Amino acid sequence: MPKVPLWDLPELPGNQLPLHLQLQKTRVSCNKDAPTNTENVTYSGAYAAMGVDNSLRLDEFRKNFKVKVIKLNEEDMEFDLIGIDASIANAFRRILISELPTMAIEKVLVANSSSVVQDEVLAHRLGLVPIKVDPRLFEYMSENDVPNEKNSIVFKLDVKCERKSGERRTVYSHDLEWLPSGSNYMLPTESSSDPSSKPKTYTSFTSSQDSLPEFSNNPITVTPGIIISKLAPGQEIELEAHAVKGIGKTHAKWSPVATAWYRMLPEVVLLQDIEDDDAQKLVNKCPVNVFDIEDMGKGVKRATVARPRACTLCRECIREPGWENKVALRRVKDHFIFTIESTGALPPEVLFTEAVKILEDKCESVITELS
Amino acid sequence: MEQNYDQQYNNVDDEEEITQEDAWTVISAYFEEYGLVRQQIDSFDQFIDNTMQETVDEFGHIEIRPESQHYPALQPDFAETIYKISFSQVYVGKPLMTEADGETRTLFPKAARLRNLTYSAPLYVDISKRAIKKGHDGEEVAETQDFAKVFIGKVPIMLHSKYCILFQSSEKDLTELEECPYDQGGYFIVSGSEKVLIAQERLSTNHVYVFKKTQPNKYAYVAEARSTAESQNRPPRTMFVSMLSGTSAKGGCSGQYIRATLPYIRAEIPIAIVFRALGFVADKHILQWICYDLADTQMMELLRPSLEEAFVIQNQQVALEYIGKRGATVGFTKEKRINYARNILQKEMLPHVGVEENCEAKKAYYFGYIIHRLLLCALGRRAEDDRDHYGNKRIDLAGPLFGGLFRMLFRKLTKNLRGHAQKCVNKGKDFNLQFAIKANIITNGFKYSLSTGNWGQANAAGTRTGVSQVLNRLTYASTLSHLRRLNSPIRREGKLAKPRQLHNSQWGMVCPAETPEGQACGLMKNLALMVYITVGSSADLILQLLQDFGIDEISSADISQATKIFVNGRWVGIHHRPDMLVSTLRGLRRQVDVNIEVGVVRDIRLKELRIYTDYGRCSRPLFIVKNQRLLIKKKDIQTLQQRETPDDGGWHHLDLVIARLNPDESYSDTYTHCEIHPSLILGVCASIIPFPDHNQSPRNTYQSAMGKQAMGIYATNFQFRMDTLAYVLYYPQKPLVTTRAMEHLHFRQLPAGINAIVAIACYSGYNQEDSVIMNQSSIDRGFFRSVLFRSYRDEEKKSGTLVKEDFGCPDRANTLGMSHGSYDKLDNDGLALPGTRVGGDDVIIGKTKPIAQDEAGGQSSRNTRCDLSTSLRHSETGVVDQVMLTTNAYGLRFVKVRVRSVRIPQIGDKFSSRHGQKGTVGMTYTQEDMPWTVEGITPDIIVNPHAIPSRMTIGQLIECIMGKVSAHMGKEGDATPFTDVTVDHISRALHKCGYQMRGFETMYNGHTGRRLPAMIFLGPTYYQRLKHMVDDKIHSRGRGPAQILSRQPTEGRSRAGGLRFGEMERDCMIAHGAASFLKERLFDQSDAYRVHVCEHCGLIAIANLGKKTFECRGCKNKLDVVQVHIPYACKLLFQELMSMAIAPRMLTKDV
Repeated sequence: MPKVPLWDLPELPGNQLPLHLQLQKTRVSCNKDAPTNTENVTYSGAYAAMGVDNSLRLDEFRKNFKVKVIKLNEEDMEFDLIGIDASIANAFRRILISELPTMAIEKVLVANSSSVVQDEVLAHRLGLVPIKVDPRLFEYMSENDVPNEKNSIVFKLDVKCERKSGERRTVYSHDLEWLPSGSNYMLPTESSSDPSSKPKTYTSFTSSQDSLPEFSNNPITVTPGIIISKLAPGQEIELEAHAVKGIGKTHAKWSPVATAWYRMLPEVVLLQDIEDDDAQKLVNKCPVNVFDIEDMGKGVKRATVARPRACTLCRECIREPGWENKVALRRVKDHFIFTIESTGALPPEVLFTEAVKILEDKCESVITELS
Repeated sequence: MEQNYDQQYNNVDDEEEITQEDAWTVISAYFEEYGLVRQQIDSFDQFIDNTMQETVDEFGHIEIRPESQHYPALQPDFAETIYKISFSQVYVGKPLMTEADGETRTLFPKAARLRNLTYSAPLYVDISKRAIKKGHDGEEVAETQDFAKVFIGKVPIMLHSKYCILFQSSEKDLTELEECPYDQGGYFIVSGSEKVLIAQERLSTNHVYVFKKTQPNKYAYVAEARSTAESQNRPPRTMFVSMLSGTSAKGGCSGQYIRATLPYIRAEIPIAIVFRALGFVADKHILQWICYDLADTQMMELLRPSLEEAFVIQNQQVALEYIGKRGATVGFTKEKRINYARNILQKEMLPHVGVEENCEAKKAYYFGYIIHRLLLCALGRRAEDDRDHYGNKRIDLAGPLFGGLFRMLFRKLTKNLRGHAQKCVNKGKDFNLQFAIKANIITNGFKYSLSTGNWGQANAAGTRTGVSQVLNRLTYASTLSHLRRLNSPIRREGKLAKPRQLHNSQWGMVCPAETPEGQACGLMKNLALMVYITVGSSADLILQLLQDFGIDEISSADISQATKIFVNGRWVGIHHRPDMLVSTLRGLRRQVDVNIEVGVVRDIRLKELRIYTDYGRCSRPLFIVKNQRLLIKKKDIQTLQQRETPDDGGWHHLDLVIARLNPDESYSDTYTHCEIHPSLILGVCASIIPFPDHNQSPRNTYQSAMGKQAMGIYATNFQFRMDTLAYVLYYPQKPLVTTRAMEHLHFRQLPAGINAIVAIACYSGYNQEDSVIMNQSSIDRGFFRSVLFRSYRDEEKKSGTLVKEDFGCPDRANTLGMSHGSYDKLDNDGLALPGTRVGGDDVIIGKTKPIAQDEAGGQSSRNTRCDLSTSLRHSETGVVDQVMLTTNAYGLRFVKVRVRSVRIPQIGDKFSSRHGQKGTVGMTYTQEDMPWTVEGITPDIIVNPHAIPSRMTIGQLIECIMGKVSAHMGKEGDATPFTDVTVDHISRALHKCGYQMRGFETMYNGHTGRRLPAMIFLGPTYYQRLKHMVDDKIHSRGRGPAQILSRQPTEGRSRAGGLRFGEMERDCMIAHGAASFLKERLFDQSDAYRVHVCEHCGLIAIANLGKKTFECRGCKNKLDVVQVHIPYACKLLFQELMSMAIAPRMLTKDV
């Protein structure tokens, strides 16, 4: 920005920020070396001297806040969050990654494993398999809880590579079989004094899970096609895997998203007309084709910004000396392009609403604590 | 493969030049044929095939005559019986073992490793015994008995050598034998442990070295000739010829005499006397023998004082006596002295020229040559010789080392045989050869040297230590590097820097980067990738050839015009057309009519032609340049036969071979050879570094050392091995950025690291001072998880015939000395079950020994057994992985238990990139706390930018951006050094992928959600997990065990020891005036003790605290006894002093 003596500044209309301050407030400018103005001005009286009220008003927010869904399918979702502070957008992101519960395998009871994969490695791999089940239907299992139909899901893995086959067998995640009525393995009994008592298994299900309306015609499955192990002829694996509810903070396997993130909306501004050779140069410079050439007639070609959203901020366009004055790369501070990549337990749009609920609960608890 | 090439190149112009890619074809073919440990295997094969037989042949025979004994009763039939024992053909069998029950079967390496056996093959020799019986009447009856294939011992067999079962096995066979198909062999298995023989570097013998002495010194110049005859394997005989300084050390002027030091002669002998003793008396002769050209007045002038010095001795006899007098000839007659001197000259002086009679002329010529060289140096016509020149170095590998050992052991065997036979013969009896030969001498001799590393006889002088080492199996690369290691047995303390420095002549022979830091720096070296070490061949063929070409006898008149010809340092003649001779010899060698190992070195300035056939020379392949073009053409690529080994004699390198680095460079007509690829100058560990040519050189050295500590997969058969300690990475990855040499090191197949997404950033400050921030979510998902295997072993030892230890679960009721750990994990057989979770101090091998009742003594007699169980290290936990129960060589039950434990990266664990940038984990952050890019990528590792500028590891930055390109293109990046890849190329490719050219990314702060105010350098970089982990180091102690002797706390983590409050800490406390604290540390918390002291004598008194009686017997004092508090160590000292009749008195009252 060119330096202007203070006394040459134009008279300002009241209740409005000067242009450069407005820019500083709402945009991150990406210069050749590093981005500047990354911070947000949150203090309500920051611009009081200029008669501008910087406080956040609910009605303003309500009026300005927009959500635009760009892309949505079973697993991914991309949407724009407009008119919100980075701190709130980040809160959603953090909650999505680490605080939304899912079900994941936590205990593996290995009855027999003659594969080359060590039990620990096998258990670790099983733990990372996403389970396609709505975690809201389950409860957390605390330390003293007994595993029951409300807090655990039991899977069985019983695969064998026949010696006759002569070929290796790959064990996939879809070889895991859901046991709706709980574990089949008996707890080792310490005293056989009471023969009348039923031998106990590792779980104490009062009813079979498939009798529950949620699962009666919707059996619990896991994401298929994930390789768990490979077996040579004669080797076998026999185990039971117990899944419980948890959150990503404890272990990444409970994270419902592969990742969730946002980026700020790019804004590419041509500060001056770029024509002919320079225009062609500019178009060639950009690896993601942000710029296009517009025919102005009379053989004059002018560069235009056609796809600013694609800008990755490689800054190649402003790298060469002089270009910084021609092109400005900016980011809009309150416009977030949010992406959620779900692991499959819940669809991404549900994940986001769940995240909003969790933030709500948190706010609620803060308010109750304060009052 | 071959066919492809054929088709491809069939219609290519014959004369087409080869490209860089073709050079790699040649390199691949080389490694396919030779592998990486060829030097070890070839050398060992040479030993088995030739050296052993030669040693036996050389030995000759044993003759045993009865020594006159006094047996009045005995009246033998013959006056005398003489036995002659001679050895002939040697045979080596296949490796086998004999079980304790006598059954013999072939031994496989796997079984040897697991059962702690020695992988060795039996050695047989044909022996004939000839008895010559002399009758009383003088008649002789000879009787010959032949013993075919007598067993004389077992020799350890090198794996993958010609006599190994695995020799030339296919990959499938190896897998079926449960061997790793990538294992290269080249080591031995002795008592179950894998042993490598470290190549030993030494100065080459039979060579004249002239050194200038730094003044002030008695000598101005010294010529040194260390000489060993080819056939005899005796330590070299060193001869010095020195020229005295004009001014003596005392300041007087003594003249520049030249004198020689002969072996066994105490004093220096003037050279003219040596000549006269050899039979060359006339001054003119002597001058001719030395100067060659009598017109050379300068040189003759230098000789004047020497001739004048010997003026008084003018004939051979006098000269010999002069020498004899100065030897070990006290009390000899004159005759004997002369003979002694003659003997020294014949046998001990320059033995490589000849030890037979009548080689005085040859010796005189050689002696003259030594002086000639000395004078050349003194006249400044030639520079002094370079001791560190690699052409002057020879490398002893397994073959020569085994050869020396075998010679010694065979001598010992025959000596023992003679001793046994002599005893029998003295008694007038015949002897049984089978009994007389103690096969154990050779078997145990080899075993001793290999398992201890002491080369040579036990506790004899001149043994070298550390020759054999346990093969490092941490990572595949470390194994390979260990097999190619090179040691110079120079005293480590020597502060002389020169032998440690990288010498120009080491180019291509020794890796410039891979050497340890510290004491062994530059002395412990590693072979470069393409080095071949000669195994040696007989010089006879060469001598025959030279004879055919017609070389002339040495004659003093001709020498100055002709070129001197040396074969293995022996002056064999002169020749007038050396250029012809050289080109014919080289031609013959290239046609493989002469062994390709033969080195031909022409020294034009010295007018010498040196031909070498000896073993231990370093050589390496190069392309031949002829008529300023490479001789190898496109069409040759498929045949790949061209192999040229210019080697040795360093001159070759410096003056004659100026190898060009790049075939496109302008051709000079003096070039004779061309480098195949300059990246091959590196060794195994340095070849793993990407872009080493962009790093500061010490960083490559650091990485070369660290690469050996990286975890990965050290062998594909690790599940079948029971190494005492092994680390295996869960999910190793092959690097995105590779070097061409990695292909041959199998680094892709057996990798040791993970391609981590690395950001170079300051983020929260938990990565300062070489620590890194690691992504906890990545760790959760399996990032750098590894498993540690530790094996415990035990056997049922036998002591005596009755007492035998037994595996089994000890019973608390009848067992003595059971540890406090849990015995519950043991099964009925006394071994822990596989799959059992075991923790610190749990017993995993239960073993007991019966105790004799009388031995138990007064102790409660219910104890019938004594506990000898093995428990887990107390700081470790894990799961029993595998239990192996077998018998060892003595038929004793033998068990190995392998415990596995998972190591998840945590704060304090050590990691490193491939550029000597090591760091520990300073913090782990979960995914949501990590910064992310516009693509939602979070880094796995964040390193601090301060690690870069001062260390200048630019290679790491280039690796990072190349990794980014590779990840996007789905191709491996080529980071071979000395290629024409530039940062600009990579940057442009990266930009095409839609990234910032230099690898920068804009990132968002994970904690705040706002943009980071800086661009972050981010990309995939190959990281290694190093074996140092906090869990293995963490240690603290409140109270714990004490030493038995001094009752002070034990030392060291493994013994749950205390942390020493040392001298310096003590000093601080004294300075601080914290006396009470000091007393607490050093006394109360250590070995507090109290004794009762007699006040009269000050000595320790008897106290019975129960009865409250105190007594000092010496003073008959029962009243004046005081109690003092002293450290137990102090009490111990006092008692020890008392045992030495010193009375330390503790006087408690003022005197």
